[in-house]
Amino acid sequence: MIQKEFSPEEAKVLEILKQVPDPEVEVNIVDLGLIYLVNIDEKTKTITVDMTLSTPGCPVGDTIIQHVQTVLEINYPGYDVKVNLVWEPQWTPELISEEGRAQLNQ
Amino acid sequence: MQVGLSTQNAPSVWVVAPHYLIGALNFIIASGLMVFHYEDLLGYHLTAPMLSVAHLMILGWVSVVIFGALYQLIPVVMEVKIYSEKLAYATLAVMVAGLFFLIKGFLSFEFKASHAITMGATFIIIAVLMFALNTLKSAAASEKKSISRLYIIASGLYLLLNVSLGLFMVLNMSYHWVSVAHTQFLKAHLVVGLVGWFLMLIIGVAARLMPMFLIVHKLKEDYLKWGFYFLNAGILTIFILVWFPSYPKVLFAVALLLILAGMVLFLMYNYDVFKKRMRKKLDSGMKPTAIALVILAFALLAFIAVYLGDATFGLPAGRLEIVAGILMVYGFFTGIILGQTYKTLPFIIWLFHYQKLVGRQKTPLPGEMFNEKLVKVHTWTFTISVVLFVIGLLFSLKVVVLAAAITMLLTSLIYGINSAKMIFHKKQIIKK
Repeated sequence: MIQKEFSPEEAKVLEILKQVPDPEVEVNIVDLGLIYLVNIDEKTKTITVDMTLSTPGCPVGDTIIQHVQTVLEINYPGYDVKVNLVWEPQWTPELISEEGRAQLNQ
Repeated sequence: MQVGLSTQNAPSVWVVAPHYLIGALNFIIASGLMVFHYEDLLGYHLTAPMLSVAHLMILGWVSVVIFGALYQLIPVVMEVKIYSEKLAYATLAVMVAGLFFLIKGFLSFEFKASHAITMGATFIIIAVLMFALNTLKSAAASEKKSISRLYIIASGLYLLLNVSLGLFMVLNMSYHWVSVAHTQFLKAHLVVGLVGWFLMLIIGVAARLMPMFLIVHKLKEDYLKWGFYFLNAGILTIFILVWFPSYPKVLFAVALLLILAGMVLFLMYNYDVFKKRMRKKLDSGMKPTAIALVILAFALLAFIAVYLGDATFGLPAGRLEIVAGILMVYGFFTGIILGQTYKTLPFIIWLFHYQKLVGRQKTPLPGEMFNEKLVKVHTWTFTISVVLFVIGLLFSLKVVVLAAAITMLLTSLIYGINSAKMIFHKKQIIKK
């Protein structure tokens, strides 16, 4: 499932995740459309992120996931960060934002 | 490990990087030899230095780099670990030993089954067997059924077939088992090697990587599927025909046409990729790749010209074969490697140094691990060199061929410097 609407808190998480680039195309993973879902559970102090990769064989995939995990742990001390890698729905270039498209051709 | 994630299949940097280093060194040695013996290209070309250049380029440069690159790309294309890293190290050692003896034999002007040449050829066959075993075992473990995988498996089998044919040719010169002219076998050796092994491998890898690098979906895969049938039919027909002292020439022509059709379909697939790409701006790795594909189109024309015959164009015998060979090996294969090195090597080096630091420290990106200006310079020198080779050979201009050889040597040196810069990269932490 791809989340369409984000609460202000979730949008803040997305903003933080813009620090994470895809090392190959050098565009951040949010604008590439790799983040499918962000959920913050204040009761359990858990942040859940569902994300995908542009291709299952992506050679830097686990580094990107590790980057997401680290960046959120640093910004949300005391929270449990869960990053799930999902393959459904399959990523397509149509998911790249306008900003991402502009960055691709800079 | 996350389900479905294949990045942990990546091999050790020490399996991949030495291939690039040794490959670059062979490219430099071959280009250096060419500068001192360029005149052989304009005269009788089956000379000791030219045989050395051809084998250093094809086995020492293109094959060695492809071996290394494939160890890195098999996990990407087939989503599986390579079968054995130890086997990969051993393969490289045996390959280098084989090349050493082969070149030693050639440079001693031994065109028969001499001790050095037989030993060199045997070592190379063993290395190729080891490589094929590693590749085919990896492919067998992969559950990913794709056209890329098919091309890669076929190319591994053709590589095996071709080195066996190479050894047979050397032995047949001494023992005369089959009374067919060695120039006839040479045709099959070139077709199986250049088209069956290299081109099919490049198509297999490109089918997966080009859409990934340029960000394209919904491509016309039928081009590749039909290309696979045409190329195999053409290669196998030629391989069978050359065993007969006289064969119907029309069959040979049909086989060549099938191969040309396969090459055209690969070019059409790439045209589709470039036309639909979302990433319009080509980075430093993709520019030489695009140039190499244009050169492939010219190589295709050169092969048609070869079939029509040198006399048709008023050229000395064998000249067009040299032009086609230069376009294919110095042009297409070298161009692809010059570009794709920057799309592969920096990543495995980057992962080695920075994988555990991302997010905690500011690190350079893979694209910042080599000198971009040097890539621009060697893209130019490479292109100029190929153009000069073609002009010099077609118009028999010695000084132009010499200039081409010098610019290619320059290309190999600049590429070598940039490769060393990546391989010997020292970990850097950028202060925030």
